[in-house]
Amino acid sequence: MSVVSELSQVRKKGGKRKPSALHKGDGKAAIFFLGPWFIGLVLITAGPMVASAYLSFTDYSLLEAPNWIGLENYTRMFEDPRLINALKVTFMYVLISVPLQLAAALALALVLDRGLRGLAIYRSVYYLPSLLGGSVAIALLWRQVFGADGLVNAVLAWFGVEGQGWVSHPDYALGTLMILNIWTFGAPMIIFLAGLRQIPQMYYEAASIDGASKWRQFRSVTIPLLTPIIFFNLVLQLINAFQTFTQAYVVSGGTGGPADSTMFYTLYLYQKGFASLDMGYASAMAWLLLAIVAGMTAVNFLVSKYWVFYND
Amino acid sequence: MTSSIRFAGRAGLAWRTSAVLGAGVLALAACNGDSGAAPADDEPTSEGSSSAAADNGDTGNVEIRFSWWGSDDRHTLTQEVIDLFEEKNPGITVVPDYTDWGGYWDKLATTVAGGDTPDVMTQEERYLTDYANRGVVADLAELGLDTSMVDESVLTSGTIDGKLAGVATGINAYTIVADPQMFEDAGVEMPDDETWTWDDFKQISQEISDALGDGMYGVQDYGGNEAGFNIYARQHGESLYAEDGTLGYSDATLESWWQDLVDLRESGAMPDGSRSVEIAEGGPEQSLLGTNSGAMGFWWTNQLSAISSAAGRDLVLLRPPGESEFDRTGLYYKPAMFYSVSATTEHPEESAKFVDFLINDPEAGALILSDRGLNANTEVRESVSAQLDPLEQQAAEFLADVADEIVDGPPAPPNGAADVPEITGRINEQVLFDTLSAADAAAQFTSEANAAIGQ
Amino acid sequence: MTDTVRDHAPSPTPTVVELSERYPEPEAKPSYWRSRTRSILKHVALIAFGLVMLYPLLWMVASSFKPDALIFRDTGLIPTEFTWSNYSDGWNALLHPFSHYLINSSIIVFGSLVGNLVSCSMAAYAFARLEFRGRNLWFAIMLMSIMLPIHVIIVPQYILFSELNWINTFLPLIVPKLLATDAFFIFLMVQFFRGIPRELDEAARLDGCGHFRIYFRIMLPLSLPALATTAIFTFIWTWNDFFSQLIFLTRPDMYTVPVALRTFIDATSESSWGSLFAMSIVSLIPIFLVFLFGQKYLVKGIATTGIK
Repeated sequence: MSVVSELSQVRKKGGKRKPSALHKGDGKAAIFFLGPWFIGLVLITAGPMVASAYLSFTDYSLLEAPNWIGLENYTRMFEDPRLINALKVTFMYVLISVPLQLAAALALALVLDRGLRGLAIYRSVYYLPSLLGGSVAIALLWRQVFGADGLVNAVLAWFGVEGQGWVSHPDYALGTLMILNIWTFGAPMIIFLAGLRQIPQMYYEAASIDGASKWRQFRSVTIPLLTPIIFFNLVLQLINAFQTFTQAYVVSGGTGGPADSTMFYTLYLYQKGFASLDMGYASAMAWLLLAIVAGMTAVNFLVSKYWVFYND
Repeated sequence: MTSSIRFAGRAGLAWRTSAVLGAGVLALAACNGDSGAAPADDEPTSEGSSSAAADNGDTGNVEIRFSWWGSDDRHTLTQEVIDLFEEKNPGITVVPDYTDWGGYWDKLATTVAGGDTPDVMTQEERYLTDYANRGVVADLAELGLDTSMVDESVLTSGTIDGKLAGVATGINAYTIVADPQMFEDAGVEMPDDETWTWDDFKQISQEISDALGDGMYGVQDYGGNEAGFNIYARQHGESLYAEDGTLGYSDATLESWWQDLVDLRESGAMPDGSRSVEIAEGGPEQSLLGTNSGAMGFWWTNQLSAISSAAGRDLVLLRPPGESEFDRTGLYYKPAMFYSVSATTEHPEESAKFVDFLINDPEAGALILSDRGLNANTEVRESVSAQLDPLEQQAAEFLADVADEIVDGPPAPPNGAADVPEITGRINEQVLFDTLSAADAAAQFTSEANAAIGQ
Repeated sequence: MTDTVRDHAPSPTPTVVELSERYPEPEAKPSYWRSRTRSILKHVALIAFGLVMLYPLLWMVASSFKPDALIFRDTGLIPTEFTWSNYSDGWNALLHPFSHYLINSSIIVFGSLVGNLVSCSMAAYAFARLEFRGRNLWFAIMLMSIMLPIHVIIVPQYILFSELNWINTFLPLIVPKLLATDAFFIFLMVQFFRGIPRELDEAARLDGCGHFRIYFRIMLPLSLPALATTAIFTFIWTWNDFFSQLIFLTRPDMYTVPVALRTFIDATSESSWGSLFAMSIVSLIPIFLVFLFGQKYLVKGIATTGIK
């Protein structure tokens, strides 16, 4: 198992070995490399963020200048049953569909990594659903598959089961959206695929010289070296899933229905901001969401120290 | 001083400054430039159309932006109207700005916030009051728009606080569309729509469902549109909104309206909850009538053509049930849309001229036909009636037939009424899935609608 | 998983391995027929699963050949009536031929592609390899910038771009990408850069290599999969991005593919579903091709280029 120990050595060394001489002049280089990003942050990102923070303390209707109303939007949020429902819907969705989607993505990335004919075609076909993005066609399609006379019910009918309109039933509509999310596992799959190829071949060679089995290699080389990418996918899919909007918007026709069962947090925020012309409240909601997502991301980063393995 | 025009209000300066705080240097630099409504000459590509000349040019050419929602047919047709207007009014260029219904309101609100309100915009009943009360749209009467040929009751619906905030593009009515073929198949006689009651309506629906069997229904769920309730309330001498901007109905009336829907569903005359939701989301194309699986539905009269073409059959319009059952008739003309002019436009005169052209010019009317409802200008309506297709003519005749029966137009909805369609739809879904009884639904609707309109 | 790494007693580390450019053979060839059968079974499973993934596209293609009236009544995969007219109508239905919108989208995609590849990878290099004050704080700020929903950002952004006179130009859609505002890709590349053994660039440092050379000559070539991922995603996501393109482009001659597609349908009037499907298929072709040809770069990692 020498490859394993080599990894651990590198890992141990990585923590301590930072000759300061090597990092002389890093500050100047950082200014150069971060220059465009910093300009973008100051000019394009920060201004609107600050503005939305300010607006969250106002009664901004979009049509008139905002008036300062202090914390009213924030206190209103705690008395808004629809907001609490939206949080519930969103958390359920995130907690169930993100892990499943990542698992599907990782499994298929491993299968589609190498060693088969026609990989390019498989990868492209498996990515196809993700290409459709927020196309309105998805709404029609989903109704066609999960509707009362849809494909799913047709299959169930073969087995003598009488289905129902899944996509338009308050108890099941959210489930169909979770399936939609899992089904579009293409993006994390691609990132996993790229990550697999980033693993230096020498580790496998060393491991196989040591006589490690394939399974052993997978557990001791592939997985540890893939953890930064798993971590990346987890963090980003969480951030994205909390902001899920397009799919719910498209499938429910913008209503979050039936009966608010697919009313995601961001969809509700959007309705408040643009349909009810209550952008002040929507901004406050956005900052609550940021607090939740930032909190979860921070926890993720803290926990990552225990399971993510960096090669540096 | 151009910048002050671009701001929705002086008080907005402070926060706008904070929005551009980060971009201070760049923003200041940009302020020196021309900040007119049409930054056409900044286009990074050479794609810009040549007709889009800048309005600060030397020719005195004026450019106004006209925004609307719709699908491709309307876009093409409206461009033809614009071309005709430009031909007749050299020196005025109309820049189109269009998208679908959903995107339209997001874009409109954002451009208003950014001080780039389109010079001429299309409005809808539920938002007009919000935009008017916040000073976004100009008083068309003040701009001298000629409205002499528009029906008085139609004009009132666009009048908010004594100002003409929008002039109706055309009129519509919310009523029953029926499929005679389905009645025939079911062996049920078409009702006399001048005398039929709500009970007749329920009974007929059930008879058709029973006769046609599985997957066929008498009527499509109509509980998600508050216009239907407004008719019902008006029949009872009430109305959804009162003149003073409060709710104008009793909960008992609303409860009995929703109870009818519950009865229809339980008797099998109407599809069950999930099927109803699915159908409602599908629009005219996937409606019961559109897919030949139902005999009746409540629709706007200008949707008759769309549903008929989806159905592949000629459908007919009937008066809603109960018009002679209670205190009075409930049917009313609804302005299909409104044209409004921005209160901050730099070219009020030209904008008003364009709106005048849209509603009063017979040639424009001949192009628009009934795309934006049956023309509100009665003179134009008559002059183009021969050019309408048979279904549009049927709608026009229907609207003419009921003219004498219509008592009055409902008052313009109050501020915040934009939320009411959403509230109606959502509560109706709870009724459909039996999570709310008709009585609870009525109570909840009243409390939510009151909250929305700030009562 | 790291437990496995930790639990094993240290044994002598292998000396520098001469790197081979070839993969090891997947199996030690137990029996030709056994592996053959396994591979066939694998293909059967992959194809079956592929059909589930492919279904929506097939359905869209089928619908694009059906007359408008049949799309909702005849929902099968094989059209009972076949028509090309959705394609010819859809192409010409809007004020400009559809190619106009394809070109506009391409311009924005090209700008975004250059922007994300250059500026995000630069920022990622700084975060992954440089030591500077407040690095973690800046990193956190970067991540926070993608945690606010676009719906509350878009209005202040609109006002900002309007002040700059950028509305109805492609600038609000391209310039932010040139300035690395897409934190997703920065973070992505940081993770990949950190996967590259530090010994490589430290050795280069000791040899007197500057940061730019390390970035350009070592990090970028070794993270080709990450760059390919960035390029593919930037292409597809920009191509499909509806909301910001809708808001920032106000003249029809500036409209892009997603905005144009949306003008075929309208919740309040008759929609041209057939044209929508046909033009959706047309607009899918470029991104599908980009993916099909781009994906081979995904798999050109260290594994194939080797570390010399």
